[in-house]
Amino acid sequence: MEEKTVSKEDFFEFLAALTKDYQVFAPVKRDDCLVFAQVQPEDEICLDYHNTKRGVKEAFFPQREQLFSFNLGNGDEDITEPSFPDTKRVMFGVRPCDAKGLFLFDRVFGDKGYEDPYYLSKRANTIVIALGCSQPESTCFCIDNKGGPFATDGSDLLLVDLGDSYSVQVITEKGEELLKNEDKFRKADQNQVRLKEEIVEKARAFLKPSVNPEKAKERLDKNFDDPIWDRLHEKCLGCGICTFLCPTCHCFDILDETGGPKGERIRIWDSCMFPQFTLHASGANPRPTGKERLRQRVMHKFKYFVDNHGEIACSGCGRCIRYCPVNLDIREILGEIQGQ
Amino acid sequence: MEKVSAEIRDVARKLLEEDKVDLIIGFEKGSLPFRATPCSIRDPKEVERLIWNSGCENNLAVYIPKKKERIGIIAKGCDSRSLMGHVKEKQIEREKLVIIGVPCKGMVDRKKVDRVLDGREALEIEEKSEELILKGHDFEEVVPKGDLLPDSCKTCTHRNPTLFDFMIGDNLDENKEADEFEAINKFEARSSDERWEYFTREANKCIRCYACRNACPLCYCEECCVDNSQPQWFGKSIELTDTQVFHIMRAFHATGRCVDCGACVRACPMDVDLRFLNKKIEKDVRELYSFEAGVDIDQPPPLSTFRPDDQDEFIK
Amino acid sequence: MEERNEASWEPKILAFLCNWCSYAGADLAGISRIQYPPNTRTIRVPCSGRVNPLFILRALQDGVDGILVSGCHPGDCHYLSGNYAARRKFAILDRLFEYIGIEKGRVQFSWVSAAEANRFAEVINEVTDEVRKLGPAKRLVKKKVE
Repeated sequence: MEEKTVSKEDFFEFLAALTKDYQVFAPVKRDDCLVFAQVQPEDEICLDYHNTKRGVKEAFFPQREQLFSFNLGNGDEDITEPSFPDTKRVMFGVRPCDAKGLFLFDRVFGDKGYEDPYYLSKRANTIVIALGCSQPESTCFCIDNKGGPFATDGSDLLLVDLGDSYSVQVITEKGEELLKNEDKFRKADQNQVRLKEEIVEKARAFLKPSVNPEKAKERLDKNFDDPIWDRLHEKCLGCGICTFLCPTCHCFDILDETGGPKGERIRIWDSCMFPQFTLHASGANPRPTGKERLRQRVMHKFKYFVDNHGEIACSGCGRCIRYCPVNLDIREILGEIQGQ
Repeated sequence: MEKVSAEIRDVARKLLEEDKVDLIIGFEKGSLPFRATPCSIRDPKEVERLIWNSGCENNLAVYIPKKKERIGIIAKGCDSRSLMGHVKEKQIEREKLVIIGVPCKGMVDRKKVDRVLDGREALEIEEKSEELILKGHDFEEVVPKGDLLPDSCKTCTHRNPTLFDFMIGDNLDENKEADEFEAINKFEARSSDERWEYFTREANKCIRCYACRNACPLCYCEECCVDNSQPQWFGKSIELTDTQVFHIMRAFHATGRCVDCGACVRACPMDVDLRFLNKKIEKDVRELYSFEAGVDIDQPPPLSTFRPDDQDEFIK
Repeated sequence: MEERNEASWEPKILAFLCNWCSYAGADLAGISRIQYPPNTRTIRVPCSGRVNPLFILRALQDGVDGILVSGCHPGDCHYLSGNYAARRKFAILDRLFEYIGIEKGRVQFSWVSAAEANRFAEVINEVTDEVRKLGPAKRLVKKKVE
């Protein structure tokens, strides 16, 4: 679709005006930490950081979400399903890797026959305005995973910072609809197009290919029982940082929380790194040690998801690398596997 | 640093060659600037991987419980105190452990580096004796190491290992001026409402990833109370009170055991102030039972012993 | 716990009483027809040393307004040293609760022997009064599903 451009001043005015009809989310600093939060026109949006610690996934797939509530006190089943709010939302400043996460979620939660209304309602009501990465970080490896600093999967609009203005790429009809009556978004002139190309080129040049997930998958297809896993998991502490901060991890647990006759059924994020992840009621656990659990994480991202959906379930955002307490680097794991 | 690394390698090589240990747990170069990462080495030819610098932030004692092999382990002051705890709590036989002690001036806190850089990324970090040079795309910044010390290192009073078989390098002077409990005393002086508000704010940051628990050498329970399902004591979600109970229990379970190594704080991705709970208990244990963890191997842990004249005022 | 009405609010207090002393003390108070407020619910435990901090935290989460843990006087423990161990544990816990902002008096401890029926009633009176003054518990109380 069409390339447009808008001055930054006009863009932020446009964004501020959107707060009337939409809940607008953007990266802001709260308590020294960069987070995605709902903003008002007077809030200062912080784009100095490469990315937020926690991505946008929790805005679509919250860490704790009520599925329904119940009351068994009246003798018969009394179930209240939650309403699906039709609040319209705009997410600004989403990085392409996090938008890719949503693109992958669409495959999981929108799978035909298994549509998840909790996710889909939020997704349908949200417009994602992504911001391309003119300056990627050393932990970014999106290009290895069929993504890139200016990839468009999962976004409705993609912005590229041109200094005083943004180049705006319209990706979906939803995105086009948002800009329909906005005359401040003009057709990009040749200079701007060239400038954008330079920025894109510079960012791409910074990202050196580090892993080859396709080659790794060839090994993963047959190394389930390989002794390499004994070594790879050795330093892993088994915490949930990598999976909880991951924009593509979507495993959850469903449980009932009750107080007397009333209660609610909730779903919460689960992590394959936890011992309880596949613990059976009998006490048996097919993934009893860190070895099986780390293997599951790698296999799910780079083999099972590829087999099931034809996509790699990793967007290369690098959070798991940056925040791992023992610097267990997924790129190194893949490197070892493909080098076997 | 290079000298220390070389000495560590020599000792490690000797231990493996003479079959005194089955493996060495130490640090090797990590994948990010200045990061060191834990590694196990079983082949004497591989000891060259071992390194030592101020990025060796992990407490390696976390890898000890449930290990059956004979282990050689690199230990800073705090790590050695955790190891003493493991020996006391019978998590490993002393004879199976060869401790290679390294006196430590304090590590570098990655989060403080991030705070200094405020969004910029360091692509290269160089360590000089008392400062760190941070280099990025279009900047170079020199920061005194003192500004980047984790809070637990700032008030550390045991830089020298308390339990060891080999000591690499010379003993350091202990920090006599450090007021370990200054922050705790200040916090105690605040009103009850303020304290509750602070605890609530910190708990609200938590994402229940359990990195604090898993990075802690003490948290080796077969099943953590938070994972218990029969009965399930408290909820597993990020509901505020559930998270608060988790943090109370985590700190409480480390009573008289926590050595303030700061591993939990460094592991936490959300910058939760975990230390303010642990340090409070440490202070009370010191006041009430004159006990300091990981210092005297013959002194029993404070909660597994008692005195008939223990303080009693809080009981009706 | 049912909905609270501020005006008619009565504190709910949970008492963990050791089987050998405090529970017997409560029993004697009953047999002796000593009057004390009806706000406590008793849970009998083998020893004050059995009381895990999780019991207390769970009760607070569930919305009780006060907690009393009571055992044998020092030196009188049926298991010789259970209450000594409990004392150390609770000394730390008591200070930790106050530190994080749980009101002082919300969680209390006492020694009551099997012979001290009057003392038991006194303790219950005191605890009930103190908790009443504190008002309904709000901190650490988990929100219930509406």
